[in-house]
Amino acid sequence: MTADERQARLAAFMTERFGVEADPWPDGGPIVPVEQHVALAAALQAELGYTLYVYCVASHWPDETPKGGDLIPEHYEVATGLRSVGAGSHVAMWRVSVPVGAGVPTLADLFAGADWQEREQYDLVGVVFDDHPDLRRLMLPEEWVGHPLRKDYAIETGHLPWR
Amino acid sequence: MAVKANIDSGRWGDPYLDLSTYTADADLMELNMGPQHPSTHGVFRVVLWLDGETIVKAVPHPGYLHRGVEKLCEKLTYVQITPIVDKNDYVAPMLNEQAVNMAVEQLMGIEVPRRARWLRTLLAELQRVASHLLWLGTFGIDLGGALGGGTSLFMYCFRERELIMDLFEGLTGSRFHYNTHTVGGNRHDVPAGWAEQVKQVLTFIERHIDEYVAVLDHPIFEQRTMNVGVIDAELALGLGLTGPVLRASGVDHDLRRDAPYHAYDEIDFKVPIAHGGDCYARYEVRVAEMRESIRMARDLIDGLPEGPLVGARPIKTPVQVKIKSGQAYVALETPRGELGTYVIAGGDNRNASPYRFKIRPPSLHSVSALPWVLPGHQVSDVVAILGSLDPIMGEVDR
Amino acid sequence: MAVDDPGRSYSHPLFDTLERFPGLDLATTTADKLLNWGARNSLWIFPMATSCCGIEFMASAASRVDFDRMGSFTRATPRQADVMVVAGTITVKMAPRVKRLWDQMPEPKWCVAMGSCAISGDFYRDIYSVIPGIDTVIPVDVYVPGCPPNPEALMAGLLVLQEKIALKTAGLKTVPAGRPETAKMISPRIKRVGHPDRMPEIDAAQCAQAMSLDLTEPPDLLAAFTAAQAAAKAAREAAEAAAADAAAADEKGGEA
Ligand code: SF4
Repeated sequence: MTADERQARLAAFMTERFGVEADPWPDGGPIVPVEQHVALAAALQAELGYTLYVYCVASHWPDETPKGGDLIPEHYEVATGLRSVGAGSHVAMWRVSVPVGAGVPTLADLFAGADWQEREQYDLVGVVFDDHPDLRRLMLPEEWVGHPLRKDYAIETGHLPWR
Repeated sequence: MAVKANIDSGRWGDPYLDLSTYTADADLMELNMGPQHPSTHGVFRVVLWLDGETIVKAVPHPGYLHRGVEKLCEKLTYVQITPIVDKNDYVAPMLNEQAVNMAVEQLMGIEVPRRARWLRTLLAELQRVASHLLWLGTFGIDLGGALGGGTSLFMYCFRERELIMDLFEGLTGSRFHYNTHTVGGNRHDVPAGWAEQVKQVLTFIERHIDEYVAVLDHPIFEQRTMNVGVIDAELALGLGLTGPVLRASGVDHDLRRDAPYHAYDEIDFKVPIAHGGDCYARYEVRVAEMRESIRMARDLIDGLPEGPLVGARPIKTPVQVKIKSGQAYVALETPRGELGTYVIAGGDNRNASPYRFKIRPPSLHSVSALPWVLPGHQVSDVVAILGSLDPIMGEVDR
Repeated sequence: MAVDDPGRSYSHPLFDTLERFPGLDLATTTADKLLNWGARNSLWIFPMATSCCGIEFMASAASRVDFDRMGSFTRATPRQADVMVVAGTITVKMAPRVKRLWDQMPEPKWCVAMGSCAISGDFYRDIYSVIPGIDTVIPVDVYVPGCPPNPEALMAGLLVLQEKIALKTAGLKTVPAGRPETAKMISPRIKRVGHPDRMPEIDAAQCAQAMSLDLTEPPDLLAAFTAAQAAAKAAREAAEAAAADAAAADEKGGEA
């Protein structure tokens, strides 16, 4: 199966099973309700053969009022990607969006690799992953204050007595 | 769920083992390894809990080289990012550059000229050979005692690696951290006589690979690597392991063939795999890959097409690279596996730099295999297993 | 550029032994020379190789450049080494370990900062997790610039270090050669070791954290730091103003 066929099958699957608007396919994948995050990953792994865990990318979006629009409140967006192995390898990607303070359910029960990726995103961006088996900071020291990849974190923040 | 069942059945080690409920046969001992340890390939720390000599739990602590690259890239223009990402996987900087430039090219919809695509492929394959040579040399040190002195293999491998560094220096002017790729093409064209030099170097290296294999064809080496650190295919996939580590577990997957980019769909090559899943299988795959890369590099230098290195509308200033909005994930196959770049463009009204820039490092996933694999092994195996995974800390921590 | 720190000790236990024998004190100057000759021609290196520069460090140890030729040799433990080569970026998480390893090295010891990361933090210098130059933590004898420096450059750096040790033995002062303007431009927030404005509290806190490896921030350090910085700035401004006044008075005097 080529990558294009897989893409078409994925879009149809998402629309049918999860009622997600996937046509035209948005950049970075469609936004999926957070309650369906784990179910979608499990279905892709078990039924469509997306068995290789690829990435988890969280991004922080502060309050924003687009020109002539309504206020978009502060939120996190978590993008996930799974890959099918072998010929015509293809990445299934989707995103979930959660307000600050709410958690995203973890995929660590399905994919062992989600453990560290999610810890990293928690450490650097500050998204909390519910039911994560071991949610600690990964990169920064345990007692670090703040999450550097948030937009309100100054890049040159000091850390006495070392910098 | 699958993960939990495999831990409970004892197929995989348990990273979440609760030591307060564990009853040890001998004394339970906590052993700290790193962050400054000659065999950790940089600054990496792992805390081991030992029952006698056997590891029952391993907790790795990365982050001793966390340089905030992703935050830094949010402040830079797309063109300025290239030299920064060089420093992530500093054993294969060429491929880092290619990854970020491919992502930007995809977001902007730029075609790369055919000659640049071939040159990129050639550089990627040369870099793969150099990287695997460095790995083989350091693996020789890691398993030191087994090889009669340890550093001999390292010296041999570096002799050959220096030759490839010379080639890159001739092309780009720098031994590493090349900054030779740019959005839409390549900066440096092949100098006169370079192609001949490449062919000579390739012949030289190819001849010497047989020597390394002969050195390592040794019962002690086999005992220290065979059936040590076995990663089965299911664990490898779930962990997101890619590259030689995944192929050593018997999964036939290579982005160069399965999701071709550059000129990989125009040339012929085989993807070596092995089935043991242990340290020896990883060694086999890497050596076979080196030979295959040399063969590919020869084809590539022979068939290097004529033409321009940058597109019809070359990018001259950083300001010309502007992306209104969009998200892209672009991946390529480095010597360590799938290196992905996830770029979110747009956002807070600055089109010349990314809103969020994330690198999906293959080494992070390799290292995260340790707590699953180490339990049940002896302390001396830690060095062999960590070495065989070939992590680069600059990439793990970024 | 070499930093000369008057507080550094170059003593050796063997000197003390020699001095205990009567009549041998005449020979000590010669013995001193002999020992330092030995020290500078067998600089055993402890590689603090954290990142990319570490690969170039490996290349210098490997077959082509091979600093074994000058008697330099890599030791993986600080207790057997004379020179710490800091090759690579040092982060906030790593710095206490570097400090601790440095403290574990026996005197006499020297430090070489290899690469712009170790010198000034390179382009990571503003980042929250990177320390802007290893000389805000430990004293540095020789700086080897480059990103990364070639193996040959590291060799040159080691030769400069040998020269420096020789000068020191001969009782000569090594003169820092550098461009003060540049140094001022990239001056880090925490002053370098040996800088007159460096706060003693910083030294104490760094030592304490390195020895305990307890990384929790001492609570009142920030306030003391800010106050001391303000005081230093005020003092500097006052001195500058006084100098300007004096110059003006001179001028007036000259006119009159
Ligand atoms: S100076 Fe350059 S090469 Fe050296 S560690 Fe820093 S970034 Fe890497």
